Amino acid sequence: MLRKLALGGIKSRFRDYAVLFSGLVIASAVFYMFMALATNKDFLNQNSSVGMTSFIFGLGEVLLVIITTVYIVYANSFLMSMRQRDYAMFMMLGAKSRKIAQLIFIETVTVGILAAAVGVVVGVGLTGLVGQLLMAQLHAPATHFAALWLPALLATFAFFVLMFVVAAFVNAHNLLKTPVLALLHAAQTPNRLQLKPLRLTVQAILALVLLGIGYWAMQQLGTLQIAGLALALVTIVLGSYFLFNSLLVWLIGLLKKNQRFAAKNLRTFTLSQLSFRIRDYTKILAVVSILFALALGAITTGMGFERDIPTLASMQNTYDVVTVDATASTQAEAKKLTGVTSQTAYHLKADQKHVYFDAAELAKNPLLLVTTYRLGGVTPTKVTAQNFAKAADMAPQQLTQFLTKADFGKNVTVASAAQFAALGGKTHVATTYQVSDFRANYDVIEKLANTTAKQNGFKSADEAGQKFAYYSLINGIFSGMAFMGFFLGIAFLAMLASTLMFKILSGANYDQGRYLMLQKIGVRPQLLRRSIRQEIGALFFFPGLLGVVHVLFGLQLFKGLIQQPYHNLYIPFGIFIVLYGLYYLITVWLYERIVVKKDIATD
Amino acid sequence: MTQQPVVSVHDVTKIYGKAGEKQYQALKGVTFDVQPGEFVGIMGASGSGKTTLLNILSTLDRPTAGSVAINGKDVTGLKGNQLSDFRAQQVGFIFQDFNLLENLTARENIALPKALQNVSHKQQQAAVDKIATTLGIEGVLDHYPTELSGGQKQRVAAARALVQQPAILFGDEPTGALDSQSARELLNTMKHLNEQEHVSILLVTHDPFSASYAQRILFIKDGQIGQELVHGDKTQEQFYQEILSTLGTFQQ
Repeated sequence: MLRKLALGGIKSRFRDYAVLFSGLVIASAVFYMFMALATNKDFLNQNSSVGMTSFIFGLGEVLLVIITTVYIVYANSFLMSMRQRDYAMFMMLGAKSRKIAQLIFIETVTVGILAAAVGVVVGVGLTGLVGQLLMAQLHAPATHFAALWLPALLATFAFFVLMFVVAAFVNAHNLLKTPVLALLHAAQTPNRLQLKPLRLTVQAILALVLLGIGYWAMQQLGTLQIAGLALALVTIVLGSYFLFNSLLVWLIGLLKKNQRFAAKNLRTFTLSQLSFRIRDYTKILAVVSILFALALGAITTGMGFERDIPTLASMQNTYDVVTVDATASTQAEAKKLTGVTSQTAYHLKADQKHVYFDAAELAKNPLLLVTTYRLGGVTPTKVTAQNFAKAADMAPQQLTQFLTKADFGKNVTVASAAQFAALGGKTHVATTYQVSDFRANYDVIEKLANTTAKQNGFKSADEAGQKFAYYSLINGIFSGMAFMGFFLGIAFLAMLASTLMFKILSGANYDQGRYLMLQKIGVRPQLLRRSIRQEIGALFFFPGLLGVVHVLFGLQLFKGLIQQPYHNLYIPFGIFIVLYGLYYLITVWLYERIVVKKDIATD
Repeated sequence: MTQQPVVSVHDVTKIYGKAGEKQYQALKGVTFDVQPGEFVGIMGASGSGKTTLLNILSTLDRPTAGSVAINGKDVTGLKGNQLSDFRAQQVGFIFQDFNLLENLTARENIALPKALQNVSHKQQQAAVDKIATTLGIEGVLDHYPTELSGGQKQRVAAARALVQQPAILFGDEPTGALDSQSARELLNTMKHLNEQEHVSILLVTHDPFSASYAQRILFIKDGQIGQELVHGDKTQEQFYQEILSTLGTFQQ
């Protein structure tokens, strides 16, 4: 009987449970995804060039635990709000407190375990899928990466079961303490907007000071080391919360006070909707701003690392691939290169001790050799007969790619056009290629570099001095970091999405009556829709804005690791904002479908 | 030459359930008029069709056949924005459960219909203050609905319904959730509005005492109007007794 009662409620409110459950599943799936990386020490050690990686993931775990806890607390209060009327009814009908407590326990823990179980399955699937996709995309070896990772599985289960057992006790305790009547009429009592200027000001100042400290700590990571990260974590979480608590309350109060603004259309209503559940929202908005920052930050740094791969490779070698004495099949392969920005053929001749370039050819098409080293990319030196000796001295390994194995080790130099013509022996033709996008041509370049090396007697492209060798070396180190960035970015984005959607949709039920009432008294449906768009828009916009600020300061962390962490920010930001915008539109659409009836008159 | 009736209902039927399925006829050809300035009561037991009738009158539901005109305008064909605007401008509602927006103060609740018309803030407030004085709620305007008593809430709802000066005020058991003192006060206020401000009122109720405030009462039973009582020159006490005895025979 007890089980029947406990599970009976689920059927009757399927949609609410679907929202609740899918939210929890995403939360546990993301938890698992993160843990699958964080608890896989072999993977971390193999794929990152940074000694602190383990520790960064440790802090990430703390942050994720905080976020997931907030999420679960919300999910629980939502669960209770759905069920408390039923519980009160059972109590009214004479159910003993012990029985009710048991009922709550069964329900809460069942929901938790189910969510964790389904979440882990989804998490394994997502981890595998995202992992495969990224590995293929990045040509990342990502050694020791495993989608099904037992420690992560255990950690996720342990955390969720623990949280839900605690939640069950808290739920039971709270429910049994509240009078039955209050439970039966748990009407939404509005928060009077508390506009105590002193408290608001103190909170606002505190928020700014805390955020300031956090941002400063991230900038001073070099001196503060690990303590700086921990400090930033605490101050930014608290600062975000206080900022929303003070700023949003202040802003809504200000708008409502401006009567000429507020007195139009549904504006008063929209603002009241926002202020109505402001206490609820501030916590979730702070969480969302942090998730936003984590997701965007992870994607941005992932892109930074990814972008660094070709940049760093270019700092070793200007030419993406060089063929020597290309055979017909090699030439055919070279035709497959896309986005070729330059292609130059050089003729070389060799005697016993020397290999000669033709001075006339160099005058026409100077060699591009990297002779200086500097952060953020280099401009190659144009090498002609005049400065050849000096450049060859500084970058001997870059000349190897023009040679065959037989000529390797000989002194490379330049002969005047007349001398060159007079030289006997075989003429070698070396053709240099530069392409606009190395990654897009990865497979072709790999083939060209390897066949050219083999054909000319080298053991590998590495020995032949081809850029491909550097590229794959750097790729091996950096793509692991990029992989982690993208992977976590996607995971956090999913979490962000489900958090906001959960919060907003869980309130839709209470709003349904309000919107119906407005329609009854003659508010045009389009006006209602506008009000909804504005309300939800505000809930998306403010945390997004703060999240962007967090990221702008947070990128300081990566100053030493990425060449230019702030370069081309508009790409990750643009992609992210488009995703976030789509997500906003979906939420609005879902919400409207729940609360706005097309035509309240039935036929 | 009589005036154009403010509500004109002609041969309205309402059938629930699709053809072929099990059908239920809630209204079976209802016809009546409400003249401007009239206070009409509609009485009937649960299931008699009175709520269906009110829903159709207030455009929340559509009749299966027949016509409903309010202020001379046929409302059965209205759709979309026209329908919304019609509701906002021509009819006022008071519901049994108040239907106030609990996240707005009384003042904001009352001003809402005006705000929707983009009337200036000053005019909104003037209109709110005027109607609040008429209804005796000027002291509670800055409270939230949860901070008000049932009677006050219903007055706020009435003020919101009337602030637009609609052609007619519909009441669906407005005293249903009120204690007898508040109910009596509300009814007196409605009577006052009807007599002094010439507001046309259509009140649906099953409570004989509430109905005794009306000038004319239509009794509805099984989807049809069965009987009509007119207040006339009788005292309210006499009229009340007449209603009671009519109910006694009518329900059998």
